[in-house]
Order: sequence, then structure tokens, then C-alpha cells
Amino acid sequence: MSMSSLRSDPRLIYLLLALVVTVPILTHSVIPVPVTSTTQGLYDFIQKLPADSLVVLSFDYSTSVVPELHPQAIVVTQQLFMRPLKILFVAQWTDGPALADAVLDAIDKGNKTYGVDYATLGYIPNSATLLGMTTDIRQFFPVDTHGNPTDALPIIKEFPAAKQAALVITFAAGEPGLSQYLQYWQARFNIPVAVGATASSAPGYLPFYSSGQLVGILVSIRGAAEYEILIHRLGISGATSAMVAQSAAHLLIFAMVVFGNVAYFVARGRKKDGAE
Amino acid sequence: MTRGELILQILIFSLGFFYAFVYYVNVSQPIDLQASSDQLFAYLTAMLTAAFAIGIINLTRVHVNNVRRKRPAWRYSIILIVCLYGMAIISMISSPFALDPTGAVIPGSLIDAVTPIWEFLYYKILVTINSSIFSLLAFFIASAAYRAFKARTFESTILLAAGLLVVLGQAPIMDLVWPGFAAIRAWILSFPNTAGQRGILIGAALGILAFSVRRLIRYPWGR
Repeated sequence: MSMSSLRSDPRLIYLLLALVVTVPILTHSVIPVPVTSTTQGLYDFIQKLPADSLVVLSFDYSTSVVPELHPQAIVVTQQLFMRPLKILFVAQWTDGPALADAVLDAIDKGNKTYGVDYATLGYIPNSATLLGMTTDIRQFFPVDTHGNPTDALPIIKEFPAAKQAALVITFAAGEPGLSQYLQYWQARFNIPVAVGATASSAPGYLPFYSSGQLVGILVSIRGAAEYEILIHRLGISGATSAMVAQSAAHLLIFAMVVFGNVAYFVARGRKKDGAE
Repeated sequence: MTRGELILQILIFSLGFFYAFVYYVNVSQPIDLQASSDQLFAYLTAMLTAAFAIGIINLTRVHVNNVRRKRPAWRYSIILIVCLYGMAIISMISSPFALDPTGAVIPGSLIDAVTPIWEFLYYKILVTINSSIFSLLAFFIASAAYRAFKARTFESTILLAAGLLVVLGQAPIMDLVWPGFAAIRAWILSFPNTAGQRGILIGAALGILAFSVRRLIRYPWGR
């Protein structure tokens, strides 16, 4: 196959990509994954939280980015359940409550009790609710996703306002997501914020990390793989085993860019020779 | 400006100013302005929720008309209507959005029967389909990598080099080859990227501020 035919018919590229992704996954290949500072920042912050602190987890993504963000949600939630912390689950995206339930099914909940140590409040329909719940959760969430009155939940009695949170972590695929928490929770009440981000949106969040507004950023499925290593739960989210496939896909893209540029300069050189 | 428009404008200005004021200034006496603002937010939530209903009504009208008039691709409208209302009804019976999760009105046996159907439709169908469609992006990127990312000019060469170094640094396997790739990636993201992103963010924030002020005072006057 010539370079020009590859240009007009990319099926060989598609086949190569399918191969480099599926073979490592099927063979369960694993490689060491160095932990980046943004991931370490979130892990350390959670480890240092005082006992009985309130952490809010916000599921701000849809089903389309489950491969990127769901592993992050699993590993972070697992760490929170390994520590004596109180956890509230909310979501700014309509898919979020169902994905939060899926995360709770995937982790080891230890001896934590629903209603006492954690609760799922459900969907936050707009910024008005997000801001309102900072002063009174019960007014904006009269019942949880199981239909229990939030008045009756011990965790809500202990923390009636979300501004009491010691940390909020948003798994954000876009808007609404991180910016709402930065504007309404971090800026107003100085609540520390962390984000689990897709690979494409993570560079946009770095200014907030370097300014200290974010305590940590998990970047894509690699962030989840790093976290699996930190919490010593390899394989809990499937992220570590996806790292060889991800590396191979990155290298293929690198090779394609180099190959494409070589082809471009060869073709340009031939054109010049022809003109002369 | 008509009298009605003037009243509307005064209302917009008053509410906009009120929320900006309450955001920055804490007033608890003689009236707790923060509590008043929270109460208004609760009303806003109800209004915005009604907007969802309008969306569903509109979608239904458009697609029912498509079917009635046998417009092109009208069969897809049937699928859409069936999926929309089917999933909505099932979700209202058994899901995190269930209207009666405790079974006070809806029989528990019905909830138990519908739960596996909802879980299958959501986790096995919706999640899988959406993830698969999103994953197709990787194939387009691989193809575009060969066809579009060319070092045609000096600027595009810099962009290309930076992009490639970030891609290599993001791949864990490259750390085994040379740990410097991760350091270069971190430097590119932390400095040139952050500087550029900050400029964009600050520029956009100033633009939003200017637009908001213009909207509140309706400047240019009368338009």
C-alpha cells in the first residue's frame, strides 16, 4: 500500500489501531505507571483529612466518557471508603446518579452504613441548587435517591449544609462541572476542590491547580491507573491493565504523525523537482 | 423603550444587582439577604425544571408530526418516541430517578420486575453504545494524525512538536524508555499551556463581565 492510498483509504490505520488496543487488553499486559504530581496531590489530601470530615463526590459525566472517568470514580471512592470519612454523592449530569450507584456496586464498602457514613442525594438540576445546598441540603434535597427523607439521615443531621464539606471532587466531562464548584463552593466558602478530568480537558484545568484552587487532578484513565497503585488495589477499576493499550495507541499516533510528515516532505520534494 | 420593556429592564437590573450584591456582601440584619436569595433560588429551580417539560413537549410535537405526515425518515421518529417515553416510564418506576422508590404507591412487585429491565437498558445498552461511539474518536485521531498534522509552517512545526512530546509523555511505556519525556510533558503543560490558558480565561472572564454590565444597564441605551 502506497502513501497516497493510505491517505485516501485509512482502513489500514484503523486495523493497526484496533490491533494495538485489543492485543494488550486480551493478553492482560501490565507496565509500571509512574505517579504524577497532580494525582499524588489528591491522594495526599484525602489521606490527611481529619476523621469524620465530609467529602462530596460529584458525578458530572455521561455514559459516553465512562471508559475515561468511571475508573477514576471507582478508585477515589474506594480510597474514601477506606478512611473514616463521610461521603455525599451528587451529580450535575442526569446520568450521574446511575453511575454513582454503579461505582458503589464496584467497590468494597467495608463497614460503612448507608445514611450514616454515606448517602446518594441525586441530581443537581442547576447552579441555583448547587449554591442553595451549601446552606441547606434538606431544602433542595427533601429525599435521597432511595426515597428516604434527608431529615432522617444521620449524615445530613451531622452535616446539614454542604459548606461544611472538607473536600469536593468532581468527575467532570465538561459543563456543568468544575467551574460551578470553583465559582460557588471554592470561591465563596473556600471548600477545597479536586477534579477527575478527561485527557482533552485536563490542560484547561491546570491553571487552577497551579494557583492552588485545585488540590489535585486525575487525568483520564492514566490518573485512575496511578491511583490504583497508590491505594494498593490493582485491577479494581481495570485502568492499570489498559495502560499498555493506551501506550501502544499513543505510539501508533506518534508513528502516524512522523510517517505522514515524511510522506508530505517526499511528495513536496518530488513536486519541486518536477517544476524545475 | 415601551413601558413594558422598561418594567422588564428594571426587574432584570434589580435581580441581577441583588444577586451580585448578595454574593459579595453578607447582610443578616434586619433582613437575611442570603436566606432570601436562597429562597429565590428554590423558585428558580422550579422554573428551570419546567423548562425540561417544555423540551419534552416540543420534541414530542415535532416527531409526532413527522410520523403523521410521513416526512423523510419518519420511522426514526417512531423509534425516538418509543425510546423516550419507554425509558422515561421505566426510569420513573425503578432507577435513581424513581418517583416512588419506597413503594408507597407503586406495587413493590412491579418495582422488582422493572429493576432488571432498567439496569439492562441503562448499563448494558446505553453505557455500551455511548462508550463505543465516543471510542470511534480514537480512529479518527489516528487517521488525522497521518493526514492532517503536517509541519507546513514554523508555527505548525512548534505546535506539532509540543503535541508529540505531550503524547509521548502521557504514554506510561515511554517512562521506561526515558523518564525525561514525562518531565518535558509536565513542563509544557505547566508553563506554556498554563500561560496560554490563563490568558484565554481572563480574557473570557472580562468579556463576560462587560457583557453582563451592558445587559444590566441595557447599554447602548434603549437597544
